[in-house]
Amino acid sequence: MTKPILIVGGGPAGLAAAHSLATFGQACILVEKEDRLGGAPILEGYAKLVPSGEWAKDAIGGMVDRAANHELVDVRTGTTVSSFSGEVGNFTAGLSNGDSLDVSAAILCTGFTHFDSANKPEWGFGTFPDVVTTSQVEQMISSGQGVRCPSDGRKPQRVAILLCVGSRDRQIGREWCSKICCTVSANMAMEIREELPDCHVYIYYMDIRTFGLYETKYYWKSQEEFKVKYIKARIAEVTSDGEKLIVKGEDTLVKRPITIPFDMVVHAIGMDPNVDNKDLSAVFGVDLEPHGYIGKANSYSATGLTNRTGVFVAGAATGPETIDDSIAQAKAAAMAALEQRQLAARLVS
Amino acid sequence: MPIHEKSLIRPENLEVHEHLEIEGVDVSGHWSTFIGSRVVADYNEAMEEEIAALPGGEYIHRCWQCGSCTNSCTVNALNPDFNPRYWIYLIRMGMESELLRDKDIIWQCVSCHKCTHVCPRDVVPEGVMKATSHWLELKGHTPKSHSMIFDEVFSEQVFETGKIEDGRVIKRFFKRTGQALAQPWMVDMVKGMLRNLPLGLLTRMGLATLVAPRTKDWGDARAAIEEYVAEREEHNRKALGLDELIQSARTEI
Repeated sequence: MTKPILIVGGGPAGLAAAHSLATFGQACILVEKEDRLGGAPILEGYAKLVPSGEWAKDAIGGMVDRAANHELVDVRTGTTVSSFSGEVGNFTAGLSNGDSLDVSAAILCTGFTHFDSANKPEWGFGTFPDVVTTSQVEQMISSGQGVRCPSDGRKPQRVAILLCVGSRDRQIGREWCSKICCTVSANMAMEIREELPDCHVYIYYMDIRTFGLYETKYYWKSQEEFKVKYIKARIAEVTSDGEKLIVKGEDTLVKRPITIPFDMVVHAIGMDPNVDNKDLSAVFGVDLEPHGYIGKANSYSATGLTNRTGVFVAGAATGPETIDDSIAQAKAAAMAALEQRQLAARLVS
Repeated sequence: MPIHEKSLIRPENLEVHEHLEIEGVDVSGHWSTFIGSRVVADYNEAMEEEIAALPGGEYIHRCWQCGSCTNSCTVNALNPDFNPRYWIYLIRMGMESELLRDKDIIWQCVSCHKCTHVCPRDVVPEGVMKATSHWLELKGHTPKSHSMIFDEVFSEQVFETGKIEDGRVIKRFFKRTGQALAQPWMVDMVKGMLRNLPLGLLTRMGLATLVAPRTKDWGDARAAIEEYVAEREEHNRKALGLDELIQSARTEI
């Protein structure tokens, strides 16, 4: 019997890796720092997922049950890894609760941290209660409460979604595209229009990156069926006239400044590197890439390798990633770990 | 103000006072130049829906501003101010005053449909131009165009008789547009007809002009057409809020 494989992080990637390994008879230990599994989709209270349209609590909830109920998966919630030593096939992991684990490999599925809009004070978050984030609107939808202005609970008649909040912004040291916000925002705009048909939704963008097949399902559909309006303008400032929020910027297509009143402004917040990445880097001896995500080795021979043999990485820990791709990467990393196990077994024999 | 933005200042937004004194200081002449604000202060959300309600405007909401229509446009090649892409944007965002600046050229669309074939989103910009011209007329921003008057004269006659008699159409059209019937080209054409057409045909044409024959049993068809036209007009009036517009104009007077 080989030693178990350590999986760090219980989001979509971690759950997928655990399930794959267990299916192939490989015991694993899933360590999650929060007190429950599911990662961002569950902890942040996402509503319907892109592109399946399934509710997050059903889709990811199903993944949680499948992994957590497997006899070969040992789940440790509310726990972090504080030390990790040894070499491939023979690691020792020290946990925050004092436990010590002998493991053969580790897969880091530590995900991301949502951008904190307070870091863009000019866009009004934290100053005006009706300036919210995409996560908050997800929660309004998933809780069944519906999209309402937090200040007084009224139904908004006009909503602005600002894209690239915490993405593609050198001013605040975030040069990356967070990849999913355009699609999530187009989807959210349609959800708002569906719930509140009299509410007009405007999306302020620099570029629209509803990549691949999301083009039809989100970008086109939001315009053709839901009459969502897209305005090419990077907003300069969100203020208030005492009654409404005032969105100021330049409409670049008419070369004119705009100061438009809105009931609600939504920040499409991007994906930051996990705030714990520096600690993870130190504990696991893995390098971070220049943006602060966990660095990936090239993927032509095996996927999900880091600079340290026996330590793999998958999902949004490596950079902004979709749920689907996080799951795929986790399965690939699980496969890479199994390949390594096989190779080691052959060498021994 | 940076020099590159000077092109954005419109002459009508410049305000110069020959004589002006502010708090005892004489600032007459160009010292007192003010530049009116260009800021767009709100979106008129009704505008897109109004134009979309008129025939041809149905697909305006699909536009993503690629500019293919303007690039392919026959009229734009002659007049760079003729910019369908730009107008579609103004309509979608409800920038009415901006659109009205171009009200006297929008009708110049020649319906070549190059834009229709090139548009990646099936917006049918030609239809939008048609709907927009129609909207400008219905809202009273532009006078009825000659082509609209011609359409009316033509269809009125079809509705009345079920037939078209060219002579009467032309007569009515010239009368309604205040043009003389005896235009030199018209005189030449009639002379040529008298010289070259067989006597029998001329007699029949002359009679038709005088007695205005009707299609047999036209009454039912006429009633159906008139009902449809009335329905359409009612729909347009409602979509554009014309009754309210007329009402408010009356109250003002």
